[in-house]
Amino acid sequence: MLWVILPAATGSDSGVQGSVKRFLKWFAGVVAMLLVAAFAFFSYMAGSPKDAYGMVRYALPHMHRGTLKVGSDAPDARLVALDGTSRFHIRERTGARPLVLVFGSFT
Amino acid sequence: MREAHPTDEWQMKSNVKDGVCYAQPKTLEQRVAIAQDFTKRYKFPLPFGIDDMGNAADAAYSAWPERLYVIDESGHIAYRGGMGPFNYNPKELREWLAARYGAVNHDTAAAPASAAQASAPAPASTSSTSAK
Repeated sequence: MLWVILPAATGSDSGVQGSVKRFLKWFAGVVAMLLVAAFAFFSYMAGSPKDAYGMVRYALPHMHRGTLKVGSDAPDARLVALDGTSRFHIRERTGARPLVLVFGSFT
Repeated sequence: MREAHPTDEWQMKSNVKDGVCYAQPKTLEQRVAIAQDFTKRYKFPLPFGIDDMGNAADAAYSAWPERLYVIDESGHIAYRGGMGPFNYNPKELREWLAARYGAVNHDTAAAPASAAQASAPAPASTSSTSAK
């Protein structure tokens, strides 16, 4: 049998460790409160906690400010026509007159 | 483009109330079907363009969930609306168009300019395209 004698922690060491632990607990508490406050704010903005979750989970990842500005070259993209088969480019509809693009979805 | 409030993601109460309940399309055919339902339901007269499943138009225009643009005759962005839903403002666009091109005559519905509605049912009419 091997006895291992460990030196006892000195008073100053346990004091520093205690302070660090207290700080970490305090920090974790503040972060948790901020998260709860943020979720409460989102819930208020969205209308309900379910909508807040939906906004964070499904909407925010797909929303992008983008870099286009007034004066930028209008990007081209190929779209599918309503018949599901024919395709056309946005650029094909520009030139003769201004083109209004209305982006959206049915839901 | 992607549906904003499909049944299998973030469906809103208004979707149920209005009977607009669709799952997030996983194929182009499903997206086209939703666009066709839209045009039939509202008898939308404008040309439509549907974004393919790679969402190229959405990516290029940062369009999701809804946004308005005007491309001028030289192919540049002349108007860029705010990001929807809170900053989506058709009234502001109407005023902008009226200031730049004169008041819109809504009686001339048979004069399609170039309307493209991308991403969703895109009504194509006079210079307006809806993209879905």
